[in-house]
Amino acid sequence: MTDTDPLVRFDGVRKSYGDFEAVKGIDLTIGRGEFVAIMGPSGCGKTTTLRMLAGLEAPSAGDITIGGKRMNDVPPHERDTPLVWQSLALFPFLNVKENVEFGLKMRGVSDTEAHGRAMLWLERMGLKGFEKRRVDELSGGQRQRVALARSLVTEPQMLLLDEPLSALDAHLVIRMQGVLTRLQRELGITFVYVTHSQSEAFAMADRVVIMGQGEIAQVGAPRDIFRAPRTRFVAEFVGRNNILPGAGGGEISVAADRMTVSDVAPGGTAIEAAFLSEEFAGTGIICYFEDASGRELKAQVSEAELERLSLEPGAKVWLSWPDEAAHPLEPKSIDE
Amino acid sequence: MKALLPRLYLVAIFTFVFAPIVTSMVFSFNSDRFPTVPLGGFTLHWYETAFARPEVWTAFGNSALVALSAAALSTALGFATAYTDFRYNFRWKPAYLALALLPPTVPLVIMGLAMLAWLGRLGLSGTLPGIVIAHTVMGAPFAMAICRLRLSQMDPSLEAAAWNLGASPMRAMRVVVLPFCMPALISAFCLTAAVSFDEFVVAWFVSGLNKTVPVMILEILQGNVDPQINAIGTVVFVTSMTLVIAAQLIILRKTSR
Amino acid sequence: MKDRTTAHALIWRLPLLIWQGLFFVGPLLLMVAMSFWLVKNYRMTPDFIFDNWERMLTRGYFWDAYRVTLWRATLAAVLASLIAFPASFALAFKLSETARRWALFFLVVPFFTSYLVRVYAWQVLLAESGPINAVLGWVGLGPFTMLNSGVGAMVGYLTLVLPLVVILQTFSLAAIDRNLIEAAWNLGASPRRTLLRVILPSAKVGLIVGAVFAFILAFGDFVSPFYLGGSKPPTLSILIIDTTKSGQQWPRAAVVAVMMIGTLFAVAFAAVGAAYGRRK
Repeated sequence: MTDTDPLVRFDGVRKSYGDFEAVKGIDLTIGRGEFVAIMGPSGCGKTTTLRMLAGLEAPSAGDITIGGKRMNDVPPHERDTPLVWQSLALFPFLNVKENVEFGLKMRGVSDTEAHGRAMLWLERMGLKGFEKRRVDELSGGQRQRVALARSLVTEPQMLLLDEPLSALDAHLVIRMQGVLTRLQRELGITFVYVTHSQSEAFAMADRVVIMGQGEIAQVGAPRDIFRAPRTRFVAEFVGRNNILPGAGGGEISVAADRMTVSDVAPGGTAIEAAFLSEEFAGTGIICYFEDASGRELKAQVSEAELERLSLEPGAKVWLSWPDEAAHPLEPKSIDE
Repeated sequence: MKALLPRLYLVAIFTFVFAPIVTSMVFSFNSDRFPTVPLGGFTLHWYETAFARPEVWTAFGNSALVALSAAALSTALGFATAYTDFRYNFRWKPAYLALALLPPTVPLVIMGLAMLAWLGRLGLSGTLPGIVIAHTVMGAPFAMAICRLRLSQMDPSLEAAAWNLGASPMRAMRVVVLPFCMPALISAFCLTAAVSFDEFVVAWFVSGLNKTVPVMILEILQGNVDPQINAIGTVVFVTSMTLVIAAQLIILRKTSR
Repeated sequence: MKDRTTAHALIWRLPLLIWQGLFFVGPLLLMVAMSFWLVKNYRMTPDFIFDNWERMLTRGYFWDAYRVTLWRATLAAVLASLIAFPASFALAFKLSETARRWALFFLVVPFFTSYLVRVYAWQVLLAESGPINAVLGWVGLGPFTMLNSGVGAMVGYLTLVLPLVVILQTFSLAAIDRNLIEAAWNLGASPRRTLLRVILPSAKVGLIVGAVFAFILAFGDFVSPFYLGGSKPPTLSILIIDTTKSGQQWPRAAVVAVMMIGTLFAVAFAAVGAAYGRRK
């Protein structure tokens, strides 16, 4: 689906500010109806990539096409790429309904039609009765939904989201993730979601694009990236991975939940390590160890297992993994 | 009790600062021509004499016209400059900002002389537009500062959000940036109008026969003691303060949102 | 699209460049040029001669005026700073937030009253037979001659600059991190040492800025020296007015103006050096 008729295509896109190269030549296609998350540490170029898609930055080199049309020189207001901003950027001097109507008014939709469509979206987002409120009278979650309604009311074929949940409380983030995935399925449009949070990206996206230092480090389904990070950078960024020396001199990664902890030396590949600490995470318990060389290791264990092992800090254990769980890491990114 | 001494000192400072202001108001209602204590009787005589003179009315008309025009121009210029500083970076920006903010540091007498010579060349010396031009140069930095302060409270994404939703840059300016800055624009207008309404040095140099109120005060002052000055000064004070307080109230009301 | 100079950018950038170029830089450059012009039979002709410069800079009365102006402006800056400091200190540290805001508001009020009217009021107040001498007379003092003297002029300068200096000082003092002061106390510094070693250095920039503004305003003012100081000896600003208003000697007035601007630049640079120089 993605390759035959992509909605968006990046072709060797670069962006530099003076001597600084924010985006160093990326190639990427995004399909219709796809939920793509672009993820990476701050300064990796993910937001610049998104802003180029919205026309807020012009690429220094390469081409961006949307629906087959080259978009490089199309100004932002002539595009159909609404963006949900990190700060939400709601207009403080307009009320809720006026905010939602804004895009329609700019496109010359008549007042009555704009009113009708805005009210429809407000109802859909559970904001009925709030239309006359000022935006600063709303809660964080409500503002979020106003921002979504404002962007979606024009029925775009693609929605851009720039870390929209970063300002919300943890419990609201989970709820909004549900709202976003449901919306995306119902509307069947493309979502391009920029975030530094892997939990958000992995929970919602069909495909995750991992960026680092202006380059794409890996593209794939969340599970594939988690199981088989291609480079050390991805493995470290995704976390919950152990980076270990491989048999042939290179490095391998092993997911924490594929590690086995035993108090006696097992047969086959194993590392002896000292127990450091434990951390309760949603699905199990992550235990941290340190081997003789000072390398940190992680293993996910169940509560029963942890009880059986009854680890004291400093206790020596053996960590092992099945061969198929070991994925070799490329020495360096091939997206050079 | 410990704070008594500092408080007394503050009272002394404020007494010094407000002595001439209060004096002028009090003596504007005092019947003695050569005022001293104890005060003479209450009178409106000085107001009546002052405002019976047609040239006083002309001067007030000139002042109002100049103040409103200079305020409109200063505010427009100040906003454009503040917006440029807010949104754009460019190579000569420090020089640009220096040009924008330098005028108030030039002594008024020098500004007056330079303006007199320059406006004379342009054939604008002795005209009200000449005074408007001079007062705009002097008022624009204040308007710029006020607008810049307001813009720094604006989410930088707000304007881009308008573009993103289909507004052209000019339309976004009209429907987003200007409404956001409205309180600053109004208060900049009031403050620059007040500055122009009070300015007499440059106005004196370039006004010729088209006198503004402060220029007329200056010329009365060159004559003998004349309590009409107090009466006119009090009216000017009340006008300026009305503008300033209006500006202040607008800022407080609109930005508290 | 910050890296491209778009039409939109120019629309907002150019007005200032055009206006201030035409009506601020232009006039000042013309004035500098004018100082080299020739005046003959009461008519100015563009030229490049040093006559005006020679004539002004070799005259004793110019240098007398220069000395008086420099001295008075310096004195005004120093006096205003010293008189303002205890008030600013009290405003910044002894008053509640609300009281401070009201006080600052009242300090702004004078900017919107006519300076001329205030000077006129001082003329009345300070007169030989005026209210102040009348009150002093009741307790058997005076009468003192305050008008048409350095004292009168100084009262005028302080009227002009004191509110501004207090405002600037108060802002810089109020901006000092309270923890810094408490830390000094906590470490056993006496109030005096805290003031000298912590407060004054922290507020240095604001204090210098206040003094410089006082200097600039007093240096250029002609109203106080003229109407309260009796214009004898004349200051540079009075010299400019006399020279300009009495016929076509504008080029000589321009010489005085250029000398004034040069002095102000020198003072401003020295002040910036003093404010940011040693401590980084």
